[in-house]
Parts: sequence; structure tokens; C-alpha cells
Amino acid sequence: MSKPKVAFFDFTSCEGCQLNKLNFENDLLDMLKLVDIVEFREAMDDTADEYDIAFIEGSISSPTCVERIHDIRRRTKILVALGQCAVSGGINAMKNDQPSDWVREEVYGDDKYLFPSLPAMPVRAVVKVDYEVRGCPMSAPEYLHVLKSLVLGRKPEIFDHAVCVECKLKENECVLDKGMFCLGPVTRAGCDALCPSFGQYCTGCRGPVSNINKNGTIEMLKAHGFSVTEAMKRMKLFNTNDMEKSISWGNR
Amino acid sequence: MHLKNPLTLQNKGYVFFDSETMKTFISFLMNQAELIAAHKKGESSYVFRAAENVDEVILDYPRTIQPLKKFFLPPRETLLNFNLEENDFDVPDMETKKRIFFGVHSYELQAIHILDYNFKRGNPESNYLKKREESLFIGISYTPDEYHFGKSVGLEIEKTEGMCLYIEPMEAGYYMFVVDDNGLKLLTEFSSETVALKTETIKPQPKEFQKKIKYHYNRLPQVFDKVYDSSVWKKVSEKCVGCGTCNLLCPTCYCFDVRDEIELDTINGKRERFWDGCMLNTFAEAAGGENFRDKLHNRTRHRLFRKFKYITEHSGELSCVGCGRCTSFCPANISIIDIINNLIEEVSLNS
Repeated sequence: MSKPKVAFFDFTSCEGCQLNKLNFENDLLDMLKLVDIVEFREAMDDTADEYDIAFIEGSISSPTCVERIHDIRRRTKILVALGQCAVSGGINAMKNDQPSDWVREEVYGDDKYLFPSLPAMPVRAVVKVDYEVRGCPMSAPEYLHVLKSLVLGRKPEIFDHAVCVECKLKENECVLDKGMFCLGPVTRAGCDALCPSFGQYCTGCRGPVSNINKNGTIEMLKAHGFSVTEAMKRMKLFNTNDMEKSISWGNR
Repeated sequence: MHLKNPLTLQNKGYVFFDSETMKTFISFLMNQAELIAAHKKGESSYVFRAAENVDEVILDYPRTIQPLKKFFLPPRETLLNFNLEENDFDVPDMETKKRIFFGVHSYELQAIHILDYNFKRGNPESNYLKKREESLFIGISYTPDEYHFGKSVGLEIEKTEGMCLYIEPMEAGYYMFVVDDNGLKLLTEFSSETVALKTETIKPQPKEFQKKIKYHYNRLPQVFDKVYDSSVWKKVSEKCVGCGTCNLLCPTCYCFDVRDEIELDTINGKRERFWDGCMLNTFAEAAGGENFRDKLHNRTRHRLFRKFKYITEHSGELSCVGCGRCTSFCPANISIIDIINNLIEEVSLNS
């Protein structure tokens, strides 16, 4: 069996998810035994024409992005969105809430017309995405699970339940009960409740569970002393598209 | 339908322990076996864990986060290790050491009793039953807080069934009731002489439950015969965010999911099971992606029916023990008592 050809691409993002992969120091060499990395701008110069698996990081936010992602989709068998920008638009999508003209002027000043811009979109708004690895940055164990599953020809199992579940399995004291803010009850698990386990609260960086009860979530946060404005603001930090424009981006 | 009448305060007599004797007794038990007791965790929570230091053992607590089931049905458990190259697997060794569960409330014991029933039926669940062996339970009374409702499901604080000893705290110390021969044996070994049991009747200060279900528990199965299409379910689901906390922390919920995870060598791996819950999105998802309980109100209804109807129909006992965990840990402040009382109200209005 020849090793699958794997490529990594970055779009609008901080490239943190890609860099995260190079940090798997204990697993990196084992990982290289499984796959042939044929294109990875951050780590090597080579490029290739066709791929078995393409991992996409970053959101789609310009006409050039749209062209490139179509091109990659044509040349890969499996396409995986990596990290919250690629999965939901991520933090980049915060700009979608603001007037586009103003946003471009803030960033490019007088040159704003030289840089055509689109609202920050998830990859799945433009091309078919086979699998998604969530989180900001992407969850390393989930990424390895997807990679191993694809190498073995299995369908990866991605959780669609809340971070609360992982907190309860670990018997963590409830962050909301301590009087802190937390989006754990409605954010997708898969991070092993990393933040609440270390005294922090869940910011929702893995996006909402698939059929989130938005009104219920706002009522829940209100009952814990947060205003509607603050609740919405915090829910939108990583997930503006999911909270505001889920229909127009073709939510599954 | 008549539910079984739970036994209450069966005992063979008692001895009196002052606080110092109680500490010595706990140390004695720690030498006899692994002693599991309530401990403080975080700012204001409690958990059951193995005692290392007598002074850390807590006797007065409302409820722990996870119920006792975690010791018999662990949150995560490796069922087997496999090797794809050799097409072989092995089952990890299971510990069966003696454990004493110290200072547990009557609802925990009732929950274990219900889990035993479910895991012994049909194909017995060998991992659970194996871990259940060699467990002794020493009960303790508790003061009901705003979430306990044991009495409403027929479960008095002093229900001692399944315990070997039962502790009733009092001003200057503790009454230690002997419930069965195991308890008597422990006390005899502790005092190394014949234990003179007192049998004069004592009346502990009666403790009132703050929360009550409007109907007697005997009538609840009848209520659940009539509420499948109730409007209450949708009302609850407006508030519910589907986090699953109520399932996971419920002492009688036992559902789990199983997942195979392979190592990076793509040869070795393990099959792991972990707690699941019927309130979670993918619980009722079948092959092909069809989900036959994809709405929160269907899932809430299913959860309550599992506690008051489906299992009750063949066990003759309610599967809710009134510990109040689902309510006190719910981030959306949903109260199981309110749900049931709303159902009762609807039933009595329509009849």
C-alpha cells in the first residue's frame, strides 16, 4: 500500500493550526511513516499536482481565495477543514458584522480598492468539505484521529455533544457555578474540556453543537448575570457566522 | 400499578461514637480496605475518592458531583486492547480489591440497587458486576437542601437497605447503627471485644424535604401513562441547551458509547467505552445519519420516561432516587420537580 499524499494549505488565518502540527514533536516522525507530505508551505518548498488528502486552514475571504480553493478541491480526493477559521470563518468572521467599506478602510487605508474583499466564509460555503477539525487552534488529538482514520480508510468520528460532557466525565467543578462565564454547555466537545480543567472558561472556540438552542443559551447566560448584549458578543467571538448567518452559508 | 415499598431503618441496635472515636474508626477502616468517601473539590463541590487522610474525609455534604456509579461503571474504561497485524486482542486485568464506601446517602444505595437490576438482566454486564464485588457501604443521614426530594420518590433519608452500618450525627458525636452482620463484624474488629448494642428507641430530629412532588410516588406511573403528548416537553426544551449534564451525573443513568482508537503505528489500539446520555445530539443517531430523537423536547421526554415509566414497568421501582443532581447541576436551571409537577397539573386539569 503506497502512503497517501497529503498537502496543507493556508488561507485567511494566523497559520497557528499549521504550526501546531510541527509541534507534535513526539508524534511527528511516526506521522511521517504514515503519509507522504507533498506540499506544506510552512515546512518545505516542494509542490505537487494531486493529493489524496488536502488539509485547509483559514477562512475564504477574497476572490483569490475562492479561485484557489476550487483549484485545490479539483486536485484532491479528500478535503479536510482544519481549525475554526476554515470550519466556521472563526475570528475573521467578526468583520462580517461590520460595514465592509469601513473594515477595508481600517485595514488598507487609502489603498482599500486595491484589495478586493469578501465576508470571511467557512470553506464549506464554497466547496465540498469532507471532514472538519475544530478549535482555535485546532485540537491536536482530533486532528490525529482524523488523520489515522483516513489512512486506515475509516470514517472519522467527530463528537457533536457539548464540552459540558467532558467536564462531567472529568468531574470538574462547574465554571458557571463558580460565577464565571462559560460556553461549555453549547460548544462542541473534542478538546477534553481543556480550558475549564485549568481554571479558565470555555470561549466557544470549537463552535456550537449542531442544533444549538440559541435563545436557551442566551436565557442561560442571563440567569448567570450576563446581559443579552454581552452574551451575544461572547457567543459571536469565534462564531459570528454560526450565530448570525447560518442560513446564508449553507449550514448542514 | 403498585410500586414496591422501600424498607426503612432496619437495624440491630446501635453504639455511640464521639468525634474522636469516629476518626479512629475511619483510620481503622482505611487499614482494612480502600476507603472511598466524600472529599471537598474546588471552591464548593464534593467528590467521592479514596481517602488518604482522615481529616479530609467529609461527613456533612449535600451531594457529590459524580454519583457512586463511577466506581463500577467508570466514566472512561478500556474494554480491550487489540493488534490489527496479529488480528488479536486481550482484555485488561480488572481489580477486585475490597472497598468500603463510607458516608454515603440512602439515594446512592438505591441507585446502585437499580443499576444492579439493569446490569443483571439479559446479558449480565460482567465488568460492572465484577467491580461491584467486595463492596461494603456505610451510610449516613443528610440534611435535605433545596434540591433533594428523596421522600417524593419513596426514599426516606434513613433507608438502610444495602448498607452494613448507618451513621446518624448528633450533637456530641454519632449514633452508629448496625444494619447487618458485616457491620457488626466491622465494629467487633474495631473494638476488639464484644460490642454491647443499645436498642432503646431513639428519635433523630425529623428532617423535612424542601422540594416535593405533588402526588404520592405510587401515582407517578399513572401520570406518565398520560403525558406522552404533553405540552410541557416543548416548554422545557425552550430553556434546555442539551448539554447532557442531567444524564451524566444521574446516579441511575448507565448508557455508554464505545469507540476504537488506534495508535499512530496503525497496528495497536484500544476499545474504550465512555458515558453517553440520551440528551446528547447523536445518541439516537442510526446508520445513515437518521436521528430518531433529534429534537430537545423528544429527548427530555425520553429521559423522564426512562426514570418513571419504561424501566419502572418491569422493575416495579422508580428509576429516580431524588438526589437532585440533574437540577442542582443544570446550567439552565431546569428543575425535574417542576417538570413533574407541571405534568401532574396538566393531567389533573384534563381528567
